[in-house]
Amino acid sequence: MTADEYLKDVLASQAMGDDSEQVKALQKHRADVEKLIRDTFEDTALTIRYAGSKAKGTMNKESYDLDIISYVSSDDNTAGETLEDIYNNHKSALAKKYYVEPKGSALRLKGCDAENLGVDFHIDVVPGRFTDETQTDAYLYQSGGDKKRLKTNLDVHLDHVRDSGVIDAIRLAKLWKVRNALPLRTFVLELAVIKLLENKKNKSLSTQMEHFWTELRDNSANLTVEDPANPNGNDLSKCLDDNLKSQLAAAAKRTLDQIDSSGWEAVYGKTEKQEKAARVEILRRAATVATPSRPWLPEE
Amino acid sequence: MKEKEKAEVEAYFPDLHFVVENDVVYVRGSFALMFEGRVLDRYSVELQLARNHPAGLPVVRETGGRIPRHLDRHILSNRTACVLIPDERWRLWPVGTSLLKYLTGPLHSFFLAQATVEEGRPWPFGQWAHGAKGTFQFYRELLNTSDLRMMTAYLDYLAAKKVKGHWPCPCRNGKKLRDCHVNQIKELRKNISRKDAERSLAILKVAGESAIEMTEANAPQ
Repeated sequence: MTADEYLKDVLASQAMGDDSEQVKALQKHRADVEKLIRDTFEDTALTIRYAGSKAKGTMNKESYDLDIISYVSSDDNTAGETLEDIYNNHKSALAKKYYVEPKGSALRLKGCDAENLGVDFHIDVVPGRFTDETQTDAYLYQSGGDKKRLKTNLDVHLDHVRDSGVIDAIRLAKLWKVRNALPLRTFVLELAVIKLLENKKNKSLSTQMEHFWTELRDNSANLTVEDPANPNGNDLSKCLDDNLKSQLAAAAKRTLDQIDSSGWEAVYGKTEKQEKAARVEILRRAATVATPSRPWLPEE
Repeated sequence: MKEKEKAEVEAYFPDLHFVVENDVVYVRGSFALMFEGRVLDRYSVELQLARNHPAGLPVVRETGGRIPRHLDRHILSNRTACVLIPDERWRLWPVGTSLLKYLTGPLHSFFLAQATVEEGRPWPFGQWAHGAKGTFQFYRELLNTSDLRMMTAYLDYLAAKKVKGHWPCPCRNGKKLRDCHVNQIKELRKNISRKDAERSLAILKVAGESAIEMTEANAPQ
């Protein structure tokens, strides 16, 4: 098996079809959350849309989320006068049914009843307000940091990732981030992958990943990313500070060393396909020493 | 059931437990599929030991619901597992051998086969066709004949209380039994119980020629 075949297997084992339990659960919660928001803000002109890794095509079983965007019209104050009010009113509305964890501009939903206490539903609700009647750009409240307002554009974000041409590399990088417990925002990682692989789109997946880690190892100090929705307005440098860059460089070096010494499996482990093949082989071996016995059914 | 037999099973399968309910002995718990000292897999089971244990076969139920209750998986809708064809018992778990031998023999093979099929692979030891066709297959292999009349003639002798040497040989060559297949009949009568032979004879007689109409193409292997 080549490195690229192996990496494709890794991605396949992380894929989540629409009929998977996780996606079905997301869809059910999505409908519940939307109803809860609309019932609470019934007089508000709300636009509710879905984003996150599912919308971007970067979903992995080990790290997935659904962003529910809930934007009010630019001239509507019924959900709150200020961005902070809108954020807090959404938080109060969601707290009727969920344990709500504030997370930057988003509200992370977790279970609060006895059956689902503390269970992470992988859903972030992102309240905001459109900047004008064109309903394209929006302002989000930032619960942390000096700047309390963030300008963004959902479609630009989605398109930037979906059209990047390096979706597979993004998914592998996200898996790498999770497995190495790197405290890097997923969106910043996506931007970094897209930027570092800008001229490597036609290369093989293994070449792309090796290039990505080599750049992080050797040049992370110079790495900067820009928010495509607001390149000059949103400063993402705090999301990629020197401390984090050092961690990324160290993890990238470790990963490249692992590939060099032990191969790709040392990075992502055995895939389901490999585990299945090993299981079939051990079952076959067990059968060679078992009493050959054929089952029978007394009735047809 | 003997305490020694129970202790032997509990020592080998610590997750199987003996329970007596209404004078019936059940063995319940997690059946470990072992190979080279490690657990390959586990199935939740209930074995209901026959009142005449160990003469009678235990009834096995897969209680975890992991195996689909489907005839093609040899699980009846009441969760009963069809581990073996009783006529073959003498080869797999001879009368007089311990319950542990049953667990590590045919039951182990049954769940090993189920685990293999679960992985999308064929039955590792093959399978008998269902009902009369499977009975026909078994005796075809055992007697090396596809002649249904010869087969039922043999089964008549296996099911009879006594067999006389002057009776015609079931191979139907016109000789007397004592001058032909008497030793084979003796051996078969020793291995296959009259009860099992009677049951198989009845199955084949009811099915008649339709039992033979099974082709290799549609017979499970």
